[in-house]
Amino acid sequence: MSTAEQVRAFRGMTRAGTRSVLIYRGDLITGAVTLVIQVVLAIAVWRIVYSGRGPVDGVDARTAVAYAAIAACLQSVLLPWQFSSLPMRIRNGQIATDLTRPLGLIWQVFGQNLGVLLGRLPLGAFGLAAAAVLGALTLPPGWAAGLLSLVATVGGVLVAMLCNLIVSMVTFWTFEVGGPLIVYRFGSAFLSGSLIPLWFMPGWLRASVEWLPFQAQVYTPVSIYLGQTRGGQALALVGVQLVWVVLLTGLLELVWRRARYRVVVQGG
Amino acid sequence: MAVIEAAELVKEFSRPAVLEGRLPRLRALFSTKRDINRAVNGVNFEVEPGELVGYLGPNGAGKSTTIKMLTGILTPTSGVCRVAGLEPSRDRARNARNIGVVFGQRTQLWYDLPLRDSFEVLADLYNLDRTTYRNRVGLFTELLDLSDFLDTPVRSLSLGQRMRGDLVAAMLHEPSILFLDEPTVGLDVVAKARLTEFIAETNRSAGTTVVLTTHDMEDVERLCHRIIVIDSGTVLYDGDLSRLKERFMPYRFLVLTLAERSIRRVADIPFATEVETSAVGTVLPYPDRSVVLRFDPREITTPELIARASQVYQVDELSIVDPRLTDVISQLYDGLLT
Repeated sequence: MSTAEQVRAFRGMTRAGTRSVLIYRGDLITGAVTLVIQVVLAIAVWRIVYSGRGPVDGVDARTAVAYAAIAACLQSVLLPWQFSSLPMRIRNGQIATDLTRPLGLIWQVFGQNLGVLLGRLPLGAFGLAAAAVLGALTLPPGWAAGLLSLVATVGGVLVAMLCNLIVSMVTFWTFEVGGPLIVYRFGSAFLSGSLIPLWFMPGWLRASVEWLPFQAQVYTPVSIYLGQTRGGQALALVGVQLVWVVLLTGLLELVWRRARYRVVVQGG
Repeated sequence: MAVIEAAELVKEFSRPAVLEGRLPRLRALFSTKRDINRAVNGVNFEVEPGELVGYLGPNGAGKSTTIKMLTGILTPTSGVCRVAGLEPSRDRARNARNIGVVFGQRTQLWYDLPLRDSFEVLADLYNLDRTTYRNRVGLFTELLDLSDFLDTPVRSLSLGQRMRGDLVAAMLHEPSILFLDEPTVGLDVVAKARLTEFIAETNRSAGTTVVLTTHDMEDVERLCHRIIVIDSGTVLYDGDLSRLKERFMPYRFLVLTLAERSIRRVADIPFATEVETSAVGTVLPYPDRSVVLRFDPREITTPELIARASQVYQVDELSIVDPRLTDVISQLYDGLLT
């Protein structure tokens, strides 16, 4: 299959993903309302925490509040993937039909995931709008930082997609991945810095988090956006993302190659 | 040259062993013992282009497993299969372009989206240009009468509608080979007839090779010239449908409807046995006046039997009935061979 054909097939999967999100209007509205409430509460809590205090660990109130709001929005757009449909499709045997398509399974899942992400973007926009109305959004320190944070967001999305897919692939061996997924979901929410900014973590935890792929998902783009990480340091974080993308792609390839021989289709 | 080949095809599944003794389930958590189950055990066959083959066998015989190897879903444990010259599990994506697959038990359509959207995604997946896509959807919509539900989400379709949608989805890229795994399961008579007619027509007009698994012997009699029967993972029979009947159910039935007032006498006709009327399998118009004789045409010719029967009985009407495929197959399954 030529590259152009593959790109078109991938786009087809993306379109299907987006449409299957947009078709459930009620679900989207509920999601948006939930996110707005979450953002409003996060802003309120962080403002109370900071009231009457100066910067904590070099982080001032404005930055902390903006971080909480943006991280919540980013997380809510990414979150659905933590439960990608792959484990379910493996469990009920739907994977069989996926494997009879001319596009590789991994590209199908990525296409679908990307589509879901695009479909959920309006949701994140609602959250950001709520934050803006409450005066909690700040602008990046400059054009370069803004641009770099955009690149870092894409990097973060890639790392999150790869992590998620690798964890989902475990289903090929265990058929049940609910437990690992919950641990993974909670771990990634905490360790990616979407619940609490990594600045406030104790040194030993911070040091270990830096060796994990999670901080690349949320912390890296948001801290660059807020100017908390700047210059060479910011570039280094994006470099780390790149390294993770390469490493995780290799790992995924390895896992998938073994999974292919493990494929057992459930039922009928 | 054969378009589908299976040579000494084997597929084994392994799962954690079921333990015996004390606390078996708890110990099973720490056990590495595994049970191996051979679902397909050295299957051999070839299919020529344009054939319509019925692939039959009881539940758990290994039909679906074979189909899944031929479609590239499962990797054979050993042996080789080739579909249009490709090894499906190694060349999955390329194989996918040559074949169309329908699994009656599941759907390849996008559950949340309208049927039409699924077709559009498939047009992208198989890189169909706009005109071709529109023409084909138009044609299929007409042939399978889809227009009423093209814009209905797949989750709201009836089973018959969904199956028609799935069939179109499998054929949108005009594959030269179709694998249909129980496509008529659960369908009503009308829906089934429409589907089988469509399959027969596709095979006839486009020369599409079709491999069909089903439990429905009516489908088989209507569609297939050749059948392959497997059980416990091995091929029991591969050949003509009519020859299968000759071989495993060589006899036929002579159904006599006796005259109203005739006195029934115990039959004493050589080479013919009186059997229950239900053996014929069809509903007889006057069951209480009917006599069914089973005979083997190699032992006694039909006219001779009729002549003899008329001497014994006072006959109003008579007919010759062939055994039903269902009975032949269940004879086969029952291990008549062993």
